[in-house]
Amino acid sequence: MTVLELRGVHRVHGTGETAVNALDDVSLTVEPGELVAVMGPSGSGKSTLLNLAGGLDSPTSGQVLVDGTSLQSLSRKQLAAWRRKRIGYVFQNLNLIASLTAAENVALPLDLDGVRGSRKQAEQALSEVDLDGYADRFPDEMSGGQQQRVAIARALIGERRLVLADEPTGALDSRTGETVLRLLRSKVDAGAAAVLVTHDARHAAWADRVVFLRDGVVVDVSERDHPEQLLSTP
Amino acid sequence: MSVKHGLLALLERGPMYGYQLRAAFDSATGGTWPLNIGQVYTTLSRLERDDLVAALPENDGQRPYEITGHGRDELKKWFATPVQRGDRPRDEVAIKLALAITTPGVDVAKVVMTQRTATMRTLQEYTRLKTQPGDLPWLLVLDAMIFQAEAELRWLDHCEASLLRYEPQALPQTADVEVPR
Repeated sequence: MTVLELRGVHRVHGTGETAVNALDDVSLTVEPGELVAVMGPSGSGKSTLLNLAGGLDSPTSGQVLVDGTSLQSLSRKQLAAWRRKRIGYVFQNLNLIASLTAAENVALPLDLDGVRGSRKQAEQALSEVDLDGYADRFPDEMSGGQQQRVAIARALIGERRLVLADEPTGALDSRTGETVLRLLRSKVDAGAAAVLVTHDARHAAWADRVVFLRDGVVVDVSERDHPEQLLSTP
Repeated sequence: MSVKHGLLALLERGPMYGYQLRAAFDSATGGTWPLNIGQVYTTLSRLERDDLVAALPENDGQRPYEITGHGRDELKKWFATPVQRGDRPRDEVAIKLALAITTPGVDVAKVVMTQRTATMRTLQEYTRLKTQPGDLPWLLVLDAMIFQAEAELRWLDHCEASLLRYEPQALPQTADVEVPR
C-alpha cells in the first residue's frame, strides 16, 4: 500500500498581491521500501513539501494521504495521534530532549500513547542503529553522529512506516553523515518509506528517486530503477 | 594516467603475464577503465623497448614480465609528480554547454536539465555500488567518481542559476575574426 501520496497539492502563503505559490500542483507517491530525495534551491518548496507530508501544515488545495488516510480529514487531536503513530521525523537540529536519556527520547512517542513495554522497544530500536549499551546516556554524553542515530531510532520506533528527514546530515562530518544515510537506506530497504530533503547531491544519491523542485514546481525527476513510478506534474 | 604507469605499478608487486596484468588492472580500478588484452601487450612491448620491463622465460606458454631498475625509477617519478589539470581530457559537458549558449535555437535550460538528470542517475548508481562490500582501493576510486559527479551537479546548478540572469551579448561575426596567415 502506498505510504505517502500528495495529490495535486497547492500551498499558497499569504494572500492577494503578496501571495506566494510555495507548492504548485505537486503530485508524489512514496511506496514501502522507497527513499525519495527532494532537492532544490532555497525557497523552492522542499520544506513546505515535507511539512505537508508530515501533517505539520495543510495544503491550500489538493490532498495529502498517509497510509490511505487523508490528513485533512482528521481533527487536530486525531492528526497529532496519527503523526505520533505513523510518521517519524529526523531534523538537522535533532530535537532530542536534553533531560531524557537516549532510551527515554526514543520511547517518548510510545509513552505519549501509553504503549506498554516502550523501554524494551526503545532498546531494540537503539540496537538496530548500533547503539547497544547507550540506552541510559544523555544526549550531551554522545557524539553528533550517535545523537543523530538516536533521532533515527526515535523516528522509526513503533508502527511507523514513514520517515521524513530534513537535512539529517547537516551538522555531521562527511563520514558520519554517510553512516546516517546508510542507516536510513537500510531502514527503507527493510520496508519503511522515506522522504529526504537535502541540498547535497551526494546524499540525495542514496535515494531511489530524486525530485527537483523549483519555485514550488517539480521540474525534474531522476529515477534509479523504477521507471513505473507515479510522480507527475501535469 | 597512462596505461604504461598502471602496468608498471602492478609489476612492482611481482612478475605477471598479460592476462594477469589485465585482471589486476581491472580489479584495481573496479572495471571503470576496461583494458583490452591488445592494449596490454602493445604497452608491454613499448615498456620492454624502453628498458622499463624485461620479459622472463616462457612458463606454460605464457611470458611473464618483470619491472626493471629503470622501470622502478620511472614509477617513483610518476608517484612523485602531481597530475596536471591540463593532462586530463577536456570536459565535454562544459564545452557542450558553452556551445549551446551561443548556438541559436538551442534550449539551454533543457540541456542543463537533461545533463543533470543523467549525472544524478549516474551518482545514484555509484552510490548503490557503495552499499556493496569492496576493498579500499576500489572504494576510493568509487568515491572519486562520486565526488566528480557531485561537482558536476553543483556546477550545473550554478549554470542554471546563471542562465536566469544571462543577457546575451552580440557575438562577433565570422567575418570579424582574423584568420591567421
